[in-house]
Amino acid sequence: MRVTILPDGVEVDAADDETLLRALARAGLRYRVGCKRGGCGVCKVQLKLGEVRYERPIAPQVLSDDERVEGICLSCRAVPLTNIVIELQEGDRLRRVLGFAFPTNHHHGKEDR
Amino acid sequence: MSAVMRLGYVQLRVTDLEEARNHYSNTLGMEVVHEEPGKLWLKCWDEWDHHSLVIEEGGVGLVKLGYKVDSPEALADFERRSQQFGATVGRFSEGENLKVGDGVRITLPSDHTLELYTDMEYAGTETGAINPEAWPRNIRGVGTHWIDHALISVDEPALVERFMSECLDFRSAERAVVSMEDPELLGSWMTCGESPHDLAFIKGPNNKLHHFAYHLEDWSSILKAGDIFSMDDVPIDIGPTRHGITRGTTIYFFDPAGNRNEVFAGLGYRAMKDFPTITWTSDQLAKGIFYHARELNEGFTTVFT
Repeated sequence: MRVTILPDGVEVDAADDETLLRALARAGLRYRVGCKRGGCGVCKVQLKLGEVRYERPIAPQVLSDDERVEGICLSCRAVPLTNIVIELQEGDRLRRVLGFAFPTNHHHGKEDR
Repeated sequence: MSAVMRLGYVQLRVTDLEEARNHYSNTLGMEVVHEEPGKLWLKCWDEWDHHSLVIEEGGVGLVKLGYKVDSPEALADFERRSQQFGATVGRFSEGENLKVGDGVRITLPSDHTLELYTDMEYAGTETGAINPEAWPRNIRGVGTHWIDHALISVDEPALVERFMSECLDFRSAERAVVSMEDPELLGSWMTCGESPHDLAFIKGPNNKLHHFAYHLEDWSSILKAGDIFSMDDVPIDIGPTRHGITRGTTIYFFDPAGNRNEVFAGLGYRAMKDFPTITWTSDQLAKGIFYHARELNEGFTTVFT
């Protein structure tokens, strides 16, 4: 599945059953995360397009039904079901932490097109 | 010294009981001593009471903390003083908590549930009390010795500090304030004995857990714990490093539901009755918390369960 991350428009591929967090980390990308295990809600992103499923039960105090309806998505537990577009939280940005390993960095964003 | 002896049990919610069993039993090395559908009771090899951790499936976060008190008279005294303070206080009966005797349930000014009790069924340590070996040969994973302390988040640190001090005889070994000119309390590390902290709290949302911690023997055990976390793919929040506060060496990491745990070793001092309370000012607080990085990661003040 193709994952497009706004606002930069960076694209990465998620393998089958791979969470958003894992797919981004595997591509050498970092963003705001907390416990990485569905407990704190720090890694929420906005799902702009497409569908995800959750690989494990999510506690309602972490992600409420209202938030789900608003398209808020817990990225450490969300597995894309389709190609998706997500937007990072306001004030967050993608950091390249493994630049030397990914010289092109799977980057098919706006500036490359 | 307070008649409260120690943090005796932590009760916690997890999203998946089997993942939690694997984490607390295989990675950390606790023993499952009792189980019922949806619930586990565990103890560390070096603990002598029946259990120190209760895990229940459904949700995430802290249910309650239990502190063991040395006599029924002290328990009644704590009950009376907590009522006089204005806290919500109730009694619970033997058996309401498995293998735990009668006790007093207090709702802290921060809405956390704190249970005081005098009796829990004796189980004995793995090495026993007669000519014991230094450690058991069948240790799994990290081999945590005992649950040592908890750090909770509270909206009004000064109020909780006053409660713990006036009602339960805890003393502040270390305190974090805005500055030497502005004494607003940001956090307090409180002891009931001589350990630098048995209960600590920092400013944050009420009724939340920041972490609870396991005692390990020394710095090399902390390093080895870090190795095991990598082998078992346990997310590490920070460490191995040292805290300025308490001088303990540490790793913060997360259980499979996202509750923060700590392994902690190397007590820096004994907080005796005449110990001069240490003050940290907010400009140096990051160094107090992570002595080497001297800056906080984002999660430290945002991740609570």
